[in-house]
Amino acid sequence: MLWYKAWRESRGRFLLTALVLTAFCLFAVLYEPYLQAGMRIPLPLHLSKGVHSEYIFNLIYSGQAKGLFALLVIFLGLGGLQRERSHNTAVFTLALPVSRLRIIGTQSALGIVELAVLALLPAVLLPALCPLIHQSFPVAEALHFSVLWFACGIVIYSFSFFLAVVTPGEYTAPVACYVLLMLHTVLAQWHPLKPYRLNLMWIMGEYRTMQWDTAHTMLLPPPLSWTVLWVLALISTAVFAGAIRVTARQDF
Amino acid sequence: MLLYKGWLESRTRFLLSAATIAGLSALFVFMNRDARAAVTDRDVTYVQYLWSAIYKGYLRDIFVVVVLLLGMGGLGREQAYGTAGFTLTLPVSRWRHIVTRAAIGLVESTVIALLPAALLPLLSPVVNETYSWSLALHFAVLWAFGGAFIFSIGFLASVLFIGEYSAPIAGVAFLFAYSIVTDLPGVERYVIDIHDFMKATGPHGLSTLATITASAITLIAVAGRITAKGDF
Repeated sequence: MLWYKAWRESRGRFLLTALVLTAFCLFAVLYEPYLQAGMRIPLPLHLSKGVHSEYIFNLIYSGQAKGLFALLVIFLGLGGLQRERSHNTAVFTLALPVSRLRIIGTQSALGIVELAVLALLPAVLLPALCPLIHQSFPVAEALHFSVLWFACGIVIYSFSFFLAVVTPGEYTAPVACYVLLMLHTVLAQWHPLKPYRLNLMWIMGEYRTMQWDTAHTMLLPPPLSWTVLWVLALISTAVFAGAIRVTARQDF
Repeated sequence: MLLYKGWLESRTRFLLSAATIAGLSALFVFMNRDARAAVTDRDVTYVQYLWSAIYKGYLRDIFVVVVLLLGMGGLGREQAYGTAGFTLTLPVSRWRHIVTRAAIGLVESTVIALLPAALLPLLSPVVNETYSWSLALHFAVLWAFGGAFIFSIGFLASVLFIGEYSAPIAGVAFLFAYSIVTDLPGVERYVIDIHDFMKATGPHGLSTLATITASAITLIAVAGRITAKGDF
C-alpha cells in the first residue's frame, strides 16, 4: 500500500519527465539530418560536426538532454513528510501502523526505481530509433551513459529529497537544490579542486574523456570507473540517511 | 494586504535566489583568475570572461530557472492546500489576486536581474579590474525584460498545471522546446529567442523590448482569464 501511495504521489512528475525526455530523444534522432544541416547546436567539446555518434553525444549525453535530466530529477526527489505537513495529511500518514523509516524508505526506493527508468530511456530509445534514419548507436555505449546518469542522478535525487525534508515551503527545496547543483559545478572548476573532477555534469557526460575509434567514425567512452560509482553511491546513501534521521526527529 | 500575502508566499524563493545570484556574481569576480580558463576555454579579457560566465552561461541559466519558479503558486496550488476558499472570500476580485501576484513576481525578478549590474562594477576594482556601469545596466535591462517573459511562462504554467510540481516541469519543458524551436532555420527570423536576447547576441532594440513586454502581458492576461473562470 505504501508503494502505491508513493507511486500516486510521484507518477505525475515521473510521467511528465519521461515524456519530456522521450520527446527530446525522438526530436534529436528523427530531425538529425535537418539539425546537422543548419541548426546552431552548441558543441561542448568543440569537436568537428558531422559524425552521427558525435552528434548524439553532443546533443543527448553531454548536451541539452543531460541538463534537462539533471534539472527534472530535482523535482522527482521532492517528497517526504514535510510536504505532507503543508497539505495537513502528515498525521494521517503517520497514523498508519508503519515506522517513519518505512514511509520514507518506500518513497525514496520508488524514486530510485523511477530514476533508473529515466536513465535507461535514452538507452532504449536511441538504438531503437537510429535505424529509422539509417544510422546506429551501440547499446553498450548507451548503457554506459545510463549507468553514469543513474549514479549521478541518484546524488541529485538524494540532495533534493534531503532538502525537501529540511526546508519548508513548496518551492524552496527545488530552488535550493538547483542552486546547489550549479554552485558545485562552479566550485569544481576552482583550481585546487579541478584535478579531482568533482563536477557531476562532467561525470554524467564523460566530459573530455571520450575518444575516437581508430577509423574516426565513433566516439567511445572510457571504461566505467567503479571508484567514482562507489563514491557517488556512498554520498547519496549518506544524504538519504541524513534525510531519514531528520524525519525521525521532526515534530509533525 | 494582498501584496503582503504575495510577498510572504514568495519571499523564501526570492531571497534564496537573490542571495545565490549575488553570491555567484561576487564569486565569479573574485575567482576570475581561476575560472577564466575553465569558463571560456581560451584566453579572453575580463569583460569577455564575465559575459561568458554571467550573461551567457552559468548565472543566466540559474536566473532563468529561479525566475520560472518565482511564477509558481496561485489559486490552483491553494486549492490543493485547501486554502483557496479562504483567499476567495476576501472582498477583492480574482483579477486583483492575479495582478498582485504577477506584480510581486515581476518586481522580484527585476530586482534579481539588477543584482549583477550593481555588483560587477562595484566589486571589479577589488580585483584590480573595471566593469562599466553602462554595460552592466544594459544587461540589467535585457535580463529584466527577459525575466518578465520567463516569469509569465511560469505564471501561466502554474495556472494550467495545478498538480504538485507539474507546473515547473511543464514550464521547464516549454522553455526548453521554445529555445530549440527559435533556433530552427527559418523560425529564428520571426520568433525572438529569449536566451539570445538576454545574452545580447540576438535583436534587442526597442521593438524587441516592446514585443517581449506585450508577450509577457498577454501570457499573464491569459492566466488571469483562466483563473477568473476557474472553479475552486
